[in-house]
Amino acid sequence: MIRGFLIRFWNRYKEYIVLVLLLVSSLFISSFSDKPAIKNVKTYAFGSFAILTSFVSKITEPFQTVFEAKRLREINAQLMLQVNRLREQGIQNAELKKLVALKDSSDYPLIAAEIVVRHVSTSQGSFIINAGENEKVQAGMPVINDQGLVGVIVSVAKDFSVLRTLSNNELKFAVRNQRSKFDGVMEWNGSELVIKNVPKTFDMELGDRIVTSDFSTKFPPSIPVGIVSGGNRDKTGIFNHITVKSYVDFIMVTNVFVIGFIPSIQKNNMELNLIRTIK
Amino acid sequence: MRSDYIIAVLLFIPLAIVQLTLVPWLSYNQIAPDLILILLVIYTLRMGQLSGTLLGFVFGLLFDLFSGGIIGSAMFTKTLSGFLTGYFYNENKTEQNLHSGSLIFIIIVIGTADSIIYSLFGNSVANTNSLLTLIFMQGLLPGIYSSVLSLLMVVFYTRKLFT
Repeated sequence: MIRGFLIRFWNRYKEYIVLVLLLVSSLFISSFSDKPAIKNVKTYAFGSFAILTSFVSKITEPFQTVFEAKRLREINAQLMLQVNRLREQGIQNAELKKLVALKDSSDYPLIAAEIVVRHVSTSQGSFIINAGENEKVQAGMPVINDQGLVGVIVSVAKDFSVLRTLSNNELKFAVRNQRSKFDGVMEWNGSELVIKNVPKTFDMELGDRIVTSDFSTKFPPSIPVGIVSGGNRDKTGIFNHITVKSYVDFIMVTNVFVIGFIPSIQKNNMELNLIRTIK
Repeated sequence: MRSDYIIAVLLFIPLAIVQLTLVPWLSYNQIAPDLILILLVIYTLRMGQLSGTLLGFVFGLLFDLFSGGIIGSAMFTKTLSGFLTGYFYNENKTEQNLHSGSLIFIIIVIGTADSIIYSLFGNSVANTNSLLTLIFMQGLLPGIYSSVLSLLMVVFYTRKLFT
């Protein structure tokens, strides 16, 4: 009798039973996605798949190169105009640094890589690049191109790595307005980059350059991120949300550089201790 | 039936390659058509709700693994999309659903639901400026974009049927 009931129950509700089981499994797997076993499976899977996609990327490379070359010529012309000015400032800077004996923090090694997989999404943008453990890439390293900050490495296989782009909700980091020296936290809201809860008294103007902050534990300071493109001017509140247009075109970007910069564990620990002390 | 599952998974692999390499070039403002969803909708309309739900789970799992995204997000979304598409399944109208404007309508509806759930899973609802942005920018537009690609398929199949 019970068996008959169970069979009838299954036949009537099997779609719902299967749906609930699969959704619960998805949530269960999702909650364990940071466990080493799941990470290993993921690393092996995207590493193997990226071998296939890298062939397709090679086929499309000539088309990408045409656009890239045109853009690079324009940038080259602009850079040429800046070079002389910067050269003079560089000499002056070196002399001044010697005088105050400052350590130069801008000299990080760069690892060249190409994007072989692009996961375009309104909330979880990520790329896979063709540089991995063999090229000494490590999780946590920042990634840039000639325009500015692209993202951060989150997972590394032998020859490939997963790069979380700025258009990903999971990535939040400290930035600075280069002109007014205001610091804030930037994140992706699903359609644009925003710096949230900026006091209205803070000096922010359209077109201001936004760079990574000295306070950032993820990125070295002064990497270009974007320019202030707008913001809400809520008359009732005391905070504004500032929107930022990234320098990097996440569709057109093909060649990137991984910066050999490892986030400072010491700095992280000090910040955590400070937070604990405040609490 | 079993061979249908195998063929679906085999078709998934080249489509995933195209989705992750060529489709981003067609995207605008992070909005891109979803070829995996189109495949899932077609198979669900052919095989039914239960099969669609199972296939959605498998497609989602593989996509999460291959794309380097958060494991579980596409799995959850595609499972639900397969289940929802199952409500449009009709054994007697399979050909009609697949080779007419119905397919485009179904893909708009499911694509919108799929994109909204994916955004919600990606925690963007807490950061999104408004519900309108979530429904329109992150839901409806990707759904419409996917349906435009499916239109090409409908045209292709209709011509094939009449010639």
